[in-house]
Amino acid sequence: MNSSKLRTAPLHLSRALHSSVPTSSRVPRACIVSKWLSSRNFTAAPPLAQESIPLRKHLKDEAKRKKAEAKNNGVVKEGKGDPRLDNWELTVGVEIHAELNTACKLFSNAPTEGSDGVANSRVAPFDAALPGTQPQFQVATLLPALRAAIALDCEVQRKSGWDRKHYFHWDQPNGYQITQYYEPFAKNGTVSLLASDGVPATDLNGADSINIGIKQIQMEQDTAKTTHHPPSTYHVDLNRAGHPLIEVITLPHIHSPQTAAAVVRKIQSVLRGVDACVTGMELGGLRADVNVSVRERGTEGTGSSYSGVSGLGQRTEIKNLSSFKAVEDAIIAERDRQIAVLEAGGVIEGETRGWTLGAKETTRLRGKEGEVDYRYMPDADLPPLVIGSDLVDHVRSTMPELPDETVGRVQKQYGLTVKDAKTIVDLDEGDRLEFMEETAELVTHGLGDQSLDQLKIGKLVGNWILHELGGLLSSNEISWNNMPITPTELADILINLQNKQITGRVAKQLLNGLLEISTSPRPSVDRLIDDGNLRLRPLSEEGYEALATQIMDESPDMVAAVREKGQKGKVMWFVGQMVRRGEEGTVEPEKARQVLERLLGS
Amino acid sequence: MQRYSVLLRAFAAQTSSPVQQASGYRRAFATGARLGDEVQRDSDGHIDVEKLLSEPAWSVGSLIPAEGQQTESPAISSRQLHHLLRLSALPLPKDAQEEAMMLKTLSSQLHFVKDIQQVDTTGVEPLRSLRDETAEGEKEAELGMAAMKGALEQEDVRGKYHRRIRRRRRSGGMEEKAQEGEHWDPLSTAGKKVGRFFVVEGGKDG
Repeated sequence: MNSSKLRTAPLHLSRALHSSVPTSSRVPRACIVSKWLSSRNFTAAPPLAQESIPLRKHLKDEAKRKKAEAKNNGVVKEGKGDPRLDNWELTVGVEIHAELNTACKLFSNAPTEGSDGVANSRVAPFDAALPGTQPQFQVATLLPALRAAIALDCEVQRKSGWDRKHYFHWDQPNGYQITQYYEPFAKNGTVSLLASDGVPATDLNGADSINIGIKQIQMEQDTAKTTHHPPSTYHVDLNRAGHPLIEVITLPHIHSPQTAAAVVRKIQSVLRGVDACVTGMELGGLRADVNVSVRERGTEGTGSSYSGVSGLGQRTEIKNLSSFKAVEDAIIAERDRQIAVLEAGGVIEGETRGWTLGAKETTRLRGKEGEVDYRYMPDADLPPLVIGSDLVDHVRSTMPELPDETVGRVQKQYGLTVKDAKTIVDLDEGDRLEFMEETAELVTHGLGDQSLDQLKIGKLVGNWILHELGGLLSSNEISWNNMPITPTELADILINLQNKQITGRVAKQLLNGLLEISTSPRPSVDRLIDDGNLRLRPLSEEGYEALATQIMDESPDMVAAVREKGQKGKVMWFVGQMVRRGEEGTVEPEKARQVLERLLGS
Repeated sequence: MQRYSVLLRAFAAQTSSPVQQASGYRRAFATGARLGDEVQRDSDGHIDVEKLLSEPAWSVGSLIPAEGQQTESPAISSRQLHHLLRLSALPLPKDAQEEAMMLKTLSSQLHFVKDIQQVDTTGVEPLRSLRDETAEGEKEAELGMAAMKGALEQEDVRGKYHRRIRRRRRSGGMEEKAQEGEHWDPLSTAGKKVGRFFVVEGGKDG
């Protein structure tokens, strides 16, 4: 019936509309129905989504699509080498300001922690610059500073001075910052980087490691914290004013942005390792400024020099970078800007620039005209700092293991990969590593004279602590401090596992169970195994064959897939079925696989 | 106290009469008798003290240029003056007359400074403050194991296999603070405040 103004839906469609099938399972023939409905201004229920694609497949497809797109666009990855870098060489120097881990401030006895974070509650009269107040050097602050200097391999100066750096700002009540401009307390150190720290091969030049020189380390005061309330009001909290900082200044030995970020990371980890500076970059306890310059390869740049390194181009300073990624990105952006200016025939001015996250280029903060004249002068209120050699010797001899040494030792002693070793050393302030070492010793002891290779034990323990235990903690959202499992318990589980008393599956279940037990005294692992009847009662050879044959008979198509189509991977499906079907704690996957391969292969 | 008396003794030992101390030193703008001139003695080698003391050998007036006297110091530009005032957070001059006064004062001050700069200071370390610079003084000021004892006791060694140093943290809240007798409230000095914060107006006039 081809009537031009059809007022009712055609019969075959009405059947679809009035179908008694419940809406949740209705799969409309989308095009026809909704188009018809919308053409007559009837609202159509949104077409049901297609059967959802498994997430893994979706991600794989996305990745493939992106790759194809990139290939079409001819995008060259940065790693393949920016051609301009063949002509231009980058030089970077880094200045790191790190908050020292002390109980009180640098020149007053106001505490650095406590008082529940209430603003302006940890302020001494000197911090507020009340007229007539004098600085009083707090001796205890020297200890972490000294550790930092020795950990970074510096020469500690017996005598150093305190200088005033004058400038006016509302976060600096005194009108000057007390620092060590003329005579810092430590000079001439080094920090070593390996390829695994993120140093690109171009910087390593075939060597195993590179050494970045540290010009000096000095102690100075921190400023107050200000918060901006637009349009032009600022709230000032003097709790942080006067907090001790160390400033670590490197020499311009760095030639790539990745190395610069690696230097900052390495210095942070060294300082954390010796308990000198424990608040990291993410919490604002460590800030970096970088000095960037470029020069044409083979030339002497503009002939500038810094601290003995000569032949450099004009440098600009980028201030207040607050994350490792920001350090890398800001240096890349500034390098590109400088190269662009120089290639166009311009000249780089010595300016101070800033960087915001997500920006494409650095922004100018201060030009040469705006350069601040700090009028450095020795502070007459403070006597020179005299450090005794007995103290330096004591600190040097009681220095804890530095992170590099620990990572190396963990690799050698426990057979972990470099990545795993680094992870475990960093986790939970070293408590996780301590747990691992204790567990490893207990396992070695418990296995007695079976003398399994120490490296194998180490790998086993390491994997369990990093991946199994770590996974459980994160999925149950428990922090390490609240974890009830003791090294003895984990060691018992692993000993039983190694002795083939329990299967891997059962071991994981035990771990999970132990996590949830909060009664005390805690039952021993052996008790739990016996109570739960989890001990492996190994199936006999016939038992395996019988179970295997049973499963094979039930699914002939899978058998065919393996036998005829040669899909070896499907064997694991059979193994899974056997483990599931068999009684708890009886089927060992390894043995099952051997039996199955024998049977299926035939 | 002991340190000061040592210092004063050392100081006194070096000081002699002002006239004899600065022998051979010529001050550029002195209008009185020039130093370095021989003190007049009679045939027996005695000094006529009354004659010597009858007129001043030196006047403070020599330190500033006399009225109308041309100074040798370079002129200071208005721009330099403004820069110095900004560095010191001082207000700029209201009008040309005030600026002229400031420049004149600054100029005569520079005249004085130039005079002082005539002194030969090769090999002399600048004095930073009056302190005991003897060897014993330095030994007293030295921070060694004894001085750090308190700080070292505030640390623990954590771990048996992986030994680390950890400073013992204080976890007190406000109550612990109050018990220590810290009764000074910094905000009592605040001109402007909001809650527990000092307030600063950062605008152009601020």
